[in-house]
Amino acid sequence: MVQAVNRPAIPESQHPYADIIHRLEAGGSMLPDTPENLMQIIGIYKAYAVPMDFYWRDLLYIAEKVFLNPVPAFKYFISKEYLDRPNSYAGDSADLRIWRGEADAHPELREFMARGETGKLPKLAHHLWHDRVNMEFAEACMRAMLWHQGMGGRFYDYLESDEYVANADRAIKAYFKGNPAMLGLYKLFPTMFLEKVRELSYYANLGLFWEVMAPVFFEMSDLYDEGKMTTVPEAMDFLVNGIFAVAGRPIYHHLYIGDECIEIIPKSAGFTWLYEAALPYVEAVFYRTAPFRGTKSYNAQAGQVPEQQKDFHYGILYADVFPVGTAGIPPTLLMQDMLHFLPDYLREYYDEHCRGDDDILIQLGITFQRSMYNVTSAVIQALRGALLYPLDDPNPRHRQANRQFFESQMDRFLRPEARLRDIQRRDYR
Amino acid sequence: MLSLLLAIPVLGAIAVSLLPRRDLAKPIALTSAAIGFVFSLFLLTQFDLTQAGVQFAESVAWVEPIGLNYSLGVDGLSLPLVALNTLLTLVAIYSSRDDLDRPQLYYALLLFASAGVGGAFLAQNLLLFVIFFEVELVPIYLLIAIWGGSRRGYAATKFLLYTALSGILILASFLGVAWLSGDFTSFDYDAISADGLSQKTQLWLLTTLVIGLGIKIPLVPLHTWSPDAYVESSPPVAILLGGVLAKMGSYGLLRFGLDLFPDTWHLVAPGLAIIGAFSVMYGSLAAIAQKDIKRMVAYSSIGHMGYILVAIAAGTELSILGGVAQMVAHGLILALLFNLVGLVETKAGTRDLDALNGLLNPVRGLPLVSSLLIAAGMASAGIPGMVGFAAEFIVFQGSFPVFPIPTLLCILSSGLTAVYFVILLNRTCFGKLNNKLAYYDRVTWPERVPALVLTAIVLILGVQPNWLVDWMEPTSAQLAASLPSAPVAIAPATEAPELATLRSPQL
Repeated sequence: MVQAVNRPAIPESQHPYADIIHRLEAGGSMLPDTPENLMQIIGIYKAYAVPMDFYWRDLLYIAEKVFLNPVPAFKYFISKEYLDRPNSYAGDSADLRIWRGEADAHPELREFMARGETGKLPKLAHHLWHDRVNMEFAEACMRAMLWHQGMGGRFYDYLESDEYVANADRAIKAYFKGNPAMLGLYKLFPTMFLEKVRELSYYANLGLFWEVMAPVFFEMSDLYDEGKMTTVPEAMDFLVNGIFAVAGRPIYHHLYIGDECIEIIPKSAGFTWLYEAALPYVEAVFYRTAPFRGTKSYNAQAGQVPEQQKDFHYGILYADVFPVGTAGIPPTLLMQDMLHFLPDYLREYYDEHCRGDDDILIQLGITFQRSMYNVTSAVIQALRGALLYPLDDPNPRHRQANRQFFESQMDRFLRPEARLRDIQRRDYR
Repeated sequence: MLSLLLAIPVLGAIAVSLLPRRDLAKPIALTSAAIGFVFSLFLLTQFDLTQAGVQFAESVAWVEPIGLNYSLGVDGLSLPLVALNTLLTLVAIYSSRDDLDRPQLYYALLLFASAGVGGAFLAQNLLLFVIFFEVELVPIYLLIAIWGGSRRGYAATKFLLYTALSGILILASFLGVAWLSGDFTSFDYDAISADGLSQKTQLWLLTTLVIGLGIKIPLVPLHTWSPDAYVESSPPVAILLGGVLAKMGSYGLLRFGLDLFPDTWHLVAPGLAIIGAFSVMYGSLAAIAQKDIKRMVAYSSIGHMGYILVAIAAGTELSILGGVAQMVAHGLILALLFNLVGLVETKAGTRDLDALNGLLNPVRGLPLVSSLLIAAGMASAGIPGMVGFAAEFIVFQGSFPVFPIPTLLCILSSGLTAVYFVILLNRTCFGKLNNKLAYYDRVTWPERVPALVLTAIVLILGVQPNWLVDWMEPTSAQLAASLPSAPVAIAPATEAPELATLRSPQL
């Protein structure tokens, strides 16, 4: 998809990130192309993919099975059915097999779920001791998508439509059938359950998004191990190609009560993976999230928090990844999850730098940040490909349009909090 | 027996300087300091707590025509300071960097300085005191001038000039006492007295002595050498400088001011109390204004020495006890602070309050060092349960009946101590660690040992202060009893509380 060009036909950019813009125009990534960067991001993609394999399964389990359970204490205790649920894009049973991975849960995930760090204990003990995959991170990402809305697409608008409300009403009544207390509560506060169902639709949305991303990251790791992925731009191109390959994947929300399936958001509604899941996810989680980092108090009255949500800049691309214990960004819980599945080469790499094992969470957090700049590069290149012109377009006006697009994207990193300049440095760890 | 306390560091220094191998310098110096410390602990166990007078005395005639004898001994005033000296010497040597230039010279000078300080506390002869007082001057000057910070030359020269002047004034005062009194036989403490001199002469001599020792303490406005010397010294030297060297001044004031001039003391005491209170306030306010954490600690030290001055000026049994306890407490806490500040500077590369932040961060900060810094700040601010509280409480209780207003000012200023330590801790330890700067090296367990040991002592003596004051009590009582009736200048209606009322269970 992304093809390198030999020389610019337009004047050099005067943007503060001109060097990075020129790199993007040459088919590169925001992340410099070095073997060290490649090793880091591929290693972390793999470590991210394993918990992600749990995240998407459990998100769908919650959206489709747990649903409005008033005491969802066991929502992270995924059922065997969902743990074995075949991935739609991996394994022999896939509807569209693009990547080579297996259909059911990754073996490393199953092994970790059985033993954790502490050894073989009852599931409840693992849960209470937080020796498990931390679904709280996935829920924080889901909540960021729900809360920000207005990020393009039609998904949220649909949640306000009469059709959706009618479907949700049907689902709520069916779910609470034979439960007069809950039905009475629904009668008294009809919008309360409706709002909860909207949130559950975002569970489904994010689950379906990550169902695609997990095999993509596994495949990248396998290609790297086989020596078939050798540069950062290749890694970015692989992501761009993946994005286009599954861009049209339906985004839906189904509820299963016994054998009955209630379509709250039917596939026929026409929501697709790229515009209703991938782009809102990147916008909400990579760029925006929320100013609750645990390490800094913001004074909204003093203008320290932007008035418009679109101007929020608390996502992973801006984050100081010091672990602070929160579910969201900085992704403390995700870093803890990834720690369990680091490839040996990445663990050895961390051992050689900074404080080794003592600050490995920060080191892998910063690697994660690097890797997400690469994913964002892929999204930017994909958007450019979808909306603008090829990089090797000979028409200077078209190339100027591409230039303006890249510059407008880079404008978002002019804030002092942005880590784009940091990730250009090798010693940023 | 006491000569061993001097011989151990001197022999260690000679061994270190004669050995050709650089890598053995620190182990030998450390061994020597450790033996000295263990020996001082042995002395503590052998010391008779019921005796007020000098113990383990030894005396050899040296230069008889001028009255100089090699007379050593310890009593309740000097023994705790001797032990403090050996402990802080051990801490200073242990916490010295391994990659020092010219380590043989460095450790030899440290040991010589330690021997000089120890000798000053052990001396029972005025001239011998002056000799030891001067002996530590050159090693410390060289330690600052060679291994100090960027302005080491300036700081070392200033230290040298001030301390040399201090020594001259002390010597002049001692010579004045000897030569002007008619029945001079020797400079031994028990053989010399200013009783025969007129009050006016005594006042002159005492004033000269107070200025000489006041430079060493240091008293405001004679203090200007000390912040520079503390800041430019390497942390181990600062530990010795603030922890024990400054105590030579306050010890001298207690020993000679009260002992040699008992009848005149009450004339200078009110002025000293006012200067002491002013020192406390000045030190605290100056500390609040600092941006350099080491300089902040240095000014804090000036403030805390003011408490000792007020206590000595009051001259009651309790205040003298509190003064000596405060010397030990201050020595321990200051050593702890300088050790921790040194670790922060080594790891973070700066002492700037505006640059440091979030050091408590458990992953990339200096969490244990920060926690101990908080503990040290609390101890310095006189938080109950730590040795600083016990010492300051005794000082205040002993001084208040005699000098209520200066004591109240001191109490007020102890609140200011909390202010600057809150500033220090809030800026350095709390807040958000800057990830762009926070590539600090790990603090290893061996590096943590001195601070942990000092913190443990600070806490143990805070919970059980009797283990500190028991040594001093008989001598303090004897010294207070040797003074005429209570000073009249700012005498209050109430009487000083009896020491017995402060004993357990309160302390």
